[in-house]
Amino acid sequence: MSAPPVQAPPAAATAPVPAPQSRRERRRQQRLAEREDGIPAEFYGLRRGTVPLLTGLAFVFAIFTLVPIAWIVINSTKTQANIFETFGFWFARPFSFFHNFSLLFQNVDGYGTYIQWFGNTVLYAALGGAGATALSAFAGYGFARFSFRGSRVLFYFTIAALLVPITALTLPLYLTYAKAHLINSIWGMILPSMISPVGIYLMRVYVDLSVPRELIDAARLDGAGEAKIFFRVALPLMVPGFMTVLLISVVAVWNNYFLPLLIFNINTRYPLTVGIGLWSERAQNSGNAQLFPMVVIGGLVTIIPLIALFLILQRYWRSGMLLGSIAN
Amino acid sequence: MAAISLRALTKVYATGITAVDALDLDVEPGEFVVLVGPSGCGKTTALRMVAGLERITSGTISFGDREVNDVSPRHRDVAMVFQNYALYPHLTVYQNIAFALENKHVPGPQRDRRVREAAEVLGLTDLLRRKPRQLSGGQRQRVAMGRAIVREPAVFLMDEPLSNLDAKLRVQMRSEVLRVHHSIGAATLYVTHDQTEAMTMGDRVAVLRDGVLQQYATPRELYDRPANVFVASFIGSPEMNLYEASLEEHHDGMAVALGSQRLGLPDQAYRAYLGRKVVVGIRPEDLGDPALDRLAGATAAGAHSQRSRATLTADARFAEMLGSEQHVFFSIDATPAGGATAAGSAGQAGLLADSEPNGVARLDPRSAIRAGGKVTFSVDTERLHFFDPDTGRAIEAAGD
Amino acid sequence: MTAVQRAAGRRRSTWIRRRDRRGIWFVVPFMVGFLLFMIVPLGYAIYTSLYTTKIIGGTTFSGASNYSQTVQSGEFWSGVVRVIIFACIQIPVMLAIAFFFACVFDLGVAKFGRTFRTIFFIPFAVPAVVGAVMWSFLLEPQFGPIVHLANAFGFSGTNFFSPSLLFSSIIVIVIWEWTGYNMTILYTALKSVPRDVVEAAILDDTPLWRIILRIKLPMVRSAIVMLVFLNTIGALQLFTEPLILSYFETGSVSINYTPTLYIFNTAIAGDQTNLAAAAAVILGLVIVVISVGSLLFRRRRGELA
Repeated sequence: MSAPPVQAPPAAATAPVPAPQSRRERRRQQRLAEREDGIPAEFYGLRRGTVPLLTGLAFVFAIFTLVPIAWIVINSTKTQANIFETFGFWFARPFSFFHNFSLLFQNVDGYGTYIQWFGNTVLYAALGGAGATALSAFAGYGFARFSFRGSRVLFYFTIAALLVPITALTLPLYLTYAKAHLINSIWGMILPSMISPVGIYLMRVYVDLSVPRELIDAARLDGAGEAKIFFRVALPLMVPGFMTVLLISVVAVWNNYFLPLLIFNINTRYPLTVGIGLWSERAQNSGNAQLFPMVVIGGLVTIIPLIALFLILQRYWRSGMLLGSIAN
Repeated sequence: MAAISLRALTKVYATGITAVDALDLDVEPGEFVVLVGPSGCGKTTALRMVAGLERITSGTISFGDREVNDVSPRHRDVAMVFQNYALYPHLTVYQNIAFALENKHVPGPQRDRRVREAAEVLGLTDLLRRKPRQLSGGQRQRVAMGRAIVREPAVFLMDEPLSNLDAKLRVQMRSEVLRVHHSIGAATLYVTHDQTEAMTMGDRVAVLRDGVLQQYATPRELYDRPANVFVASFIGSPEMNLYEASLEEHHDGMAVALGSQRLGLPDQAYRAYLGRKVVVGIRPEDLGDPALDRLAGATAAGAHSQRSRATLTADARFAEMLGSEQHVFFSIDATPAGGATAAGSAGQAGLLADSEPNGVARLDPRSAIRAGGKVTFSVDTERLHFFDPDTGRAIEAAGD
Repeated sequence: MTAVQRAAGRRRSTWIRRRDRRGIWFVVPFMVGFLLFMIVPLGYAIYTSLYTTKIIGGTTFSGASNYSQTVQSGEFWSGVVRVIIFACIQIPVMLAIAFFFACVFDLGVAKFGRTFRTIFFIPFAVPAVVGAVMWSFLLEPQFGPIVHLANAFGFSGTNFFSPSLLFSSIIVIVIWEWTGYNMTILYTALKSVPRDVVEAAILDDTPLWRIILRIKLPMVRSAIVMLVFLNTIGALQLFTEPLILSYFETGSVSINYTPTLYIFNTAIAGDQTNLAAAAAVILGLVIVVISVGSLLFRRRRGELA
C-alpha cells in the first residue's frame, strides 16, 4: 500500500508570478542570491580566530593601499610650508585647498599650465582610447570571424608584439619622429596609442565568445553586406568587451609617461604625467617652493577622474578580468 | 532504524523561494531510493541538504540514530557523485580515487589496495594513469563513482550522474550503477528527472513537485496506484490520458460518462462519487484492439480480461509505428484534464484545437487499427484511474 | 567524383574564400597602424644603431660598433643585473601577496571582501608618476610622515632614499602599484574553478591548505604564468619610479640605474641617438629572451609536476 496520498496542487497551478519590483528591490535580491552563492566559509574547517585574523590582514593591506591616497587628499589642502612642517596625516590651518587649486590655472615660472595639461591628457586619452577600441573591434572581428590567407600569421605576429618591450618600441618612435619633424605633434602621441595588441587579443576572444557564426551567416543569407553585418549584428553583441577595451585603453593612454616624455619638448603639449614629473623635478631643484603644493594638488586632480571612472564602471573591469583569464 | 531519515525537511532561500517543503523520507540500510521530478522540483536541493552542502531551513536529517543537521559535510561520511563528475582535472584517475584516502592518512599499501579494488569493480584498471581530460563521458562517470565507493561511506548520494551521457550509454550505465550498488550495499539516494531511470532502478521512488513530496512508494505502486494526477501522468510513457468526466448510474451499476460515451464499471467501488465530476485516467497501454481481444479471448488468460472490457470510439488522427508497438493518437469528445506536462486545457484552445489529438493508445503491432477515421478501442475498466477534480488526489476504491 | 561535382566543390569553396578575403578589410586599419608605428620605427631604430653621428664627420656607417660599445659598457650591464634582481625579488613577493588575498576573498573567509577588493584595485588607476611622487613625499628623509613614524618607533635616522634602502623603497612602491591588479586577475581565475570540484573535496574531508595547494592552485596555473610573464616584462623596464625618486634624492639614483634609464639618458641628455638605439635593441632582445624563457620554463615545470 502506498503512503497516504499527499495533497497535490490543482493541475493548472503555476509558480506565482513575482510582482514587478523596483530596481532597489531587484538589486537587494541579487545581492542576497550572490551571498548564498559561494561555498560557506564554515565548510573549510577553520579554527575559531581565523576569519577575524584574515579580515585584519586585509585591513592592514587596505591601509597600506590607502595611505598615499589619504596623504595626497589631506596635503592638497595645505600650504607649502605646512606640507613639510605639519603632521602628514592630518589637516592644518590655513585651509589652502582652493588657493592651491587656483594655481593649477596659472603658468607658474613658465613650466606650463596644469589645466592645459589636463586638456591635453583628456584629448590624447579620449582620441587614443577611442581609436584603439575602434581598431581593436574591427581587427578583432576580422581575425575571429574570417579566415583569410595569412590571418593566423598576422594574429600571432600582433600578439608577439606584446613581447617587445615598450622601451624598444618607443625610442624608435622618437627617432622616427625626429627624422620626420613630427616632434611635438599631438598625432605623434595619439596615433601610436591606437595600436594596442592587448586590445586586439581581448576583442578577438570576446567576439569568439559572443558573436555566433550562425548569426552572421543568417544575415549574409538575408543579403546584408559585411559592413552592415558588423555594425548592426556584431557590434551590439560586442558592447561589454568593447567597453572593457575602451576603459583599458583610456587608462593606458592617461597613465602613459615614457612616450610623451620623449616626443614632447614644449610644455604646452605635455600630458599630466609629464607635467607632474617636470614639476617634481623643478620643485626640488629650482628655488620655487610653491611648486610643491602644486605637485600635490596636481597629482590629486590627476587621479580623481580615473578612480571615479573605476568606481562607477566597476562591472566592466570585472568582466574584463574575466575575459583576460578565460583567454588563457 | 532507517539509514537516512528526513523529517519535515524544508529549504527556503533568502529570496523567499521555497525549494523543499516539509519532506518526509526514510531510506532503509542498503536501499536504493530515487528522488524524481521535473526540473526545479527541489530534488537536488534535498540531496545537497543530506550531503550538508546546503543549509537547512527547518526539519531534521538523521543518519541512523544520530541527527546530522549541524554536522559539517566533512564529517557526515557521505560520498556524492556529481552531475558533472567534479573530478580533479590535473590528477590521474588513480590520484582522483586515492585523494580521499590520503586525507584520512590511510597508509600507502592499504590505500593502494583499496584504490585498485575500486578500480577493478568499475573496470578502470587500465585507465589509472590517465587524466580526466583523456577520458570519455562514461569513463569519467565511473571514476566519479570509484572515488565515492573507495571511501566505503555510510551514505551514497548521486545527483543525476547519467544526465550528461548519450541515450545508449545511459541504458548501459544504469545496470552498472545498480551492480556497484549491490556490491557495496550502502544506502543510496539517487536524484534524476528521468522517470524511466526511476522506475527501473529504484527500490522505492519519491516523486517531487515544486518542493512537495507527491508520493513515495515502490515503482509498482506508483504505476498501479498513483496518489494524484501529477504522479499518474509523470510516471509511464507515453503519458496517461486524462479527461474530465463524471460518474453516473448505468444499467445495474455505474459508468463513467466520458464526453458522449459511457464506460460501464465492473463494480460499485466508486459509489461515493456517484453523480459527481471526476478526472478519469486511462493509460495508453490499457487501450486495446477489440479484434485482437477476441482472438485472445479464445485462451483462458484472455477470458479474464474480457469481463472488464468496455469500448471507446474515437477519431484516429495519426499513428507512430515503432516496430514493437504502435502509438495511435486519437481524439474523443471529452475535455482533457491537466497532467504533469500539460499546461492545463487552456493551451488547447488554438487554431488547431479541433484537429489536436487528445489521447494516445499503445497497441499491439499486429493491430489493424490505422489512422484516419473512426476506430473503436477496448478499454480495461478495471485499470481506470479516478481522481478528485479539485484536489487531484486519487479516489480510493471503497473496499479495496 | 565526377567533373561536375569537382567543379561545384571548387566553386563553392571559392565563394567562401572570397567572402573570407573580405575580412582583410577589417584588419587593414590596424595593420597599417601597426606597420607605421611599430614596424617602421623598429626598422629605423635598427638602421640608426648601425651608424654613428659625430659633430665632425657627420653620420657614418659603423656596423656593430655601437653594439660592442654598449655590450662592453659596465653601466649598461649593471643596470640589467639590477633590474633582474629587482624582478626576482619584487615579483614573487607581490604574487604571493596577491595570491594570498585572492584566495582569501575567493573562499570568502574574510569579511567585506567586495570592499577590500575594490580598494586594492585603486592603485591601478594611479599613474606611476603620481604614485612615485606620493611615495616620495611619504618617504622623504626629512619631512616624510613615514619617517616620522619610523622615528617614533625607534628607527631614527632611517633614510629610505639612501643607497642601501632605495632599492627596497622602489620595490615597495611597485608592489603598491601592482598587487591589486594581479590579485584581481588571480581572484577571477580562482572564481572560475568549478564549484562542484571544491564541494567534492569538502565531502572528502580535505583540509583547507590541501584544497588551496592541490586543487585551486594547479587550476589557476595558466593565469599565474601569464602574470609572471607580464610582470617580468614590466619589471625589466623599470623607469618611472627611479626617475621620479631621483628628482627627490639625486644622489642615490644614477643615470644608469636601470637599462631604460640608460637608454633615455643616452638619447636625450647625451644626444647619442645611435648608441641609444643600439642599447634599445639589445635591451629588447634581452627582455624577449628572458620573458619567453620564463614562459617555457614555467610550462616545462608544469609538465614535469
